[in-house]
Amino acid sequence: MRIVRHLQHWLTGRGPRLQVVDFVPETHPLRQWADTFPWAALVAAVDRSFAQRFPLKTARGRAPVATRVLLALELLKHELSCSDEQICSRLRTDLAVMYACGITEIHVDRTQGHFVLPEVLAQFRSRIDERLMEELITMQAAAAMEAGLVSPAHLVVDTFPSEQGSQRVNDAATLYKAKKKFSRSSRTFSTRAPRKGKS
Amino acid sequence: MRRFGRQCRGQGHVFVKLVRETETQLLTLGQHVGSLALSAQLVLQNAARFSTRQHTRLATQLTAAIEAHQLIEHQSRRLTHGKTLSACKIVNPYDRTIAPICKGKSNCPTQFGRKPGIIAEPASGFIFAAHLPVGNPGDNSYVLPLVDKVQQAITQVTHRPPLALHSLAGDLAFNDTALREALHARGILTVGIPHTVEPITSSPTQEEVGRILRDAGLHRQRTPYQVHLACACGYSRPVIESIIASLLCRGVDRVRYKGHRGAILQMGMTVMAHNAATLVRIEQHRLSKRAQKLRRLLCLRSRNSHQYNGSKN
Repeated sequence: MRIVRHLQHWLTGRGPRLQVVDFVPETHPLRQWADTFPWAALVAAVDRSFAQRFPLKTARGRAPVATRVLLALELLKHELSCSDEQICSRLRTDLAVMYACGITEIHVDRTQGHFVLPEVLAQFRSRIDERLMEELITMQAAAAMEAGLVSPAHLVVDTFPSEQGSQRVNDAATLYKAKKKFSRSSRTFSTRAPRKGKS
Repeated sequence: MRRFGRQCRGQGHVFVKLVRETETQLLTLGQHVGSLALSAQLVLQNAARFSTRQHTRLATQLTAAIEAHQLIEHQSRRLTHGKTLSACKIVNPYDRTIAPICKGKSNCPTQFGRKPGIIAEPASGFIFAAHLPVGNPGDNSYVLPLVDKVQQAITQVTHRPPLALHSLAGDLAFNDTALREALHARGILTVGIPHTVEPITSSPTQEEVGRILRDAGLHRQRTPYQVHLACACGYSRPVIESIIASLLCRGVDRVRYKGHRGAILQMGMTVMAHNAATLVRIEQHRLSKRAQKLRRLLCLRSRNSHQYNGSKN
């Protein structure tokens, strides 16, 4: 429930309450995939790193989207080979994705278009640095070893090429930039325009 | 352009000619950049209409453009004069961490991008660590950072008896005397790293086991049983190609995020997603016969499928 409170108003609005767990069977691949992560440790590591590098200047303002949701979305993006827009869209409609993001119950609001904006996901991603990424992988490996599922006794090492791809210019980013540019230009115009009335 | 070279790189003189022609064109195009940039800097200094923020941003961009051109000019002059480059060829002046990746193929164009390295368990395919250096260094430079990361993960485990890295397997690119000595000093067997193209024996005799332990100087640290397992893992080294294929399917074949940090982020997230899928396979016993046998020999358990697994969120 804590995550529900952290998410934006759409999850705490009016409407019938849905238990996400009831809709996602235990045999669902995404549920099994999500249950393997040591979420509490991962989220704590991300929060600790962010708090050190990006301290909050003020306690005012709306609570941010929970780290658990954003981290899960970023991982799901790579598991399901989706773009930012696609995974954010699936979070709105797919209950298995909601389960993987740690959302246990929701209030239905049909007017709501999205839960998390792609820009928020991109902003979260830009804050993750190399050290944090290494720490997350190490934690996952340590958790698997702790559970006795894998052993580091005999390992194999190899390299492979990864081609540099072009930056994807997506619709959401283009629209966001256009809106920002438009609002800036309209603000400039309104300050420069001569006032009517007094003559 | 994401690749350079022609379909067959066998005839070197054609490739050299092509490079020289391209570099000459680059030099001709860029010969006015220096003077233009200087005049632009003068104009920028005298311009009063820009705010301080805008001024700083434009000055930074201009400096970056001048530096980028200087780098390209330097390497173009070396190449047109027939001299070899001291480092990798710069393929993108605004992201110098990208490098040409030559993987020993003789009949395909050279890719450019990055070369990540992974260290994984051959039985199940679980990746313990990934390393992504700047440029395209030799393969043997990957091993020690990866081993360090694995040992860092081991220190976080409160397991009795304590876990340890016993052996490491790799291909012929990791065959380096200094590297072998460094690994032996850490108590790691290198029987899985071949000396020649000959395949590694999967079941060594007692004499061979004794010789392996004697050569590594690990008589008291490693047992003959561990050497047998190391040979079995080294023999099945090509299974790592399937792990790499799994990563490539998840989108690591092409780096989509910007810069070196972006590449590390994409790689890391993909590795974590792959590891979670691997753990699901282990829990459901969806492993190959060889992997199941190896897991039995390593005394690894699988979770009880009848155990109640409630919501873990």
